[in-house]
Amino acid sequence: MLVSFSYHDRHSLVEKIDPRARWIFSILVMFAITLFWDIRILLFFLALTMGQYYLARLTWKETRRAWTFIFFIMSTMVVVNTLITSAGTIGEVMQGGHPIYEFTIPIFGWSLNFTLTVERLWFALTQIVRILSISALFLVIPFTMDPRQYGATFRGMGLPDRLAYSLDLAFRFVPTLSRDFQITLDAQRARGYEVEKLEGGLISQIRKMAPLVVPVTMNAILSGEDITNAMDLRCFGLHRRTWIQQLHYHWPDYLVIGLGVFLLAASIWLKWQGYGEFWVPDWLIS
Amino acid sequence: MEKKSLWAFGTREVVYSAIGAALYAVLSVATNFLQIPAAANVSVRPAVAIPMFFGLAFGPWVGFLAGFVGNIISDLISGYGFWLWWDIGNGLMGLIPGLIYLSITDFRSISNIVKAEIMVIVGAAVGMFVAALSEIWVSGVTFATTMATNFLPAFISNVVNGLILVPILMIAYGAIQARSGR
Repeated sequence: MLVSFSYHDRHSLVEKIDPRARWIFSILVMFAITLFWDIRILLFFLALTMGQYYLARLTWKETRRAWTFIFFIMSTMVVVNTLITSAGTIGEVMQGGHPIYEFTIPIFGWSLNFTLTVERLWFALTQIVRILSISALFLVIPFTMDPRQYGATFRGMGLPDRLAYSLDLAFRFVPTLSRDFQITLDAQRARGYEVEKLEGGLISQIRKMAPLVVPVTMNAILSGEDITNAMDLRCFGLHRRTWIQQLHYHWPDYLVIGLGVFLLAASIWLKWQGYGEFWVPDWLIS
Repeated sequence: MEKKSLWAFGTREVVYSAIGAALYAVLSVATNFLQIPAAANVSVRPAVAIPMFFGLAFGPWVGFLAGFVGNIISDLISGYGFWLWWDIGNGLMGLIPGLIYLSITDFRSISNIVKAEIMVIVGAAVGMFVAALSEIWVSGVTFATTMATNFLPAFISNVVNGLILVPILMIAYGAIQARSGR
């Protein structure tokens, strides 16, 4: 099969928690993490999110692709940020500091002075910990949340019926449309369309995607009319909907939400007390 | 069908949002294996034309949901996690072309195609700008960094794909409309 979801039942502790509770927890913790630039606090959050990752029973094989993607994006951002555009949204990192390495690059008669400071390097490290904590927090979701429950989950979190239903419907269309795509691809190949050998420049290559994209899209639009009619005939949207997947909160779910609320509240309190700003260990700069 | 309100969200919109989102997700994942080697490490994703076109054809809400939900589903299939701000950026990329939805009656007229192309550029610019800006808040990078590493590659790739594929989709849709009297 061309397209399939990464979810399968792993009998892990994380899956036993109500998906609504997990979304609420994840979003609260994300806001808590973004309050800090102190690596000590960020390491606590990294441990917390990696704990969740561990409890989800994910294997390296499954998540390798996602981690590669995260490391690629993260390293480009951090390298460009530290070396080229001079570190950080925080002023104190950019000004002054303790130089480790200085060099001058001559460009067309000008000379570009560059100073790598302890603060800049430490900021880069802090940044890595922060990005990894947020990534690990959300990385587990695709692997551990049943796609069939998304509609009911978001309805349960207060989304209007129509929006939640649309979300649910989208998940259900994925297998059908991926089959349509495969059929179209095979049909075009039979007519001599060489998808593996798209020649020409960038623009003509994109243009050559049209024989695949157009039939699949137009077919889907035509079948959409039938679905709309069928739903209208069944009086869709007249009353509040009921859902096949029922979700019920249990005490561990309240505990998870409570933990999220506590972490965010504690973080706001710490921030208010003046903790959590960018921190460099004394032994590094003394 | 009579076009009425710009922001209406009835049965038709529910269905087309779902179809747009699923199409965006499937085509993004399916064309991954086609990896077109483009200049400067820009990954080319022809599927971005889908939310833009669905916005133009079915209104701003449909465009937004096709981009927003479609990006979530494609990340779920590829196992990349959940990136709310990039999902919103993709949604805006579909919503903005949708703002001229009421003014488009003939999908094959040159003036409408030109209008649509302008909205594609604005949509890609605003959508990717919003997503890139949020990286300043989340990852703590500077404005210049996020513009260079996040905004520019995404914007260029999306705008090129949109500019080429949206008119092709519009002409094909115009033909269907004319034939079936929709």
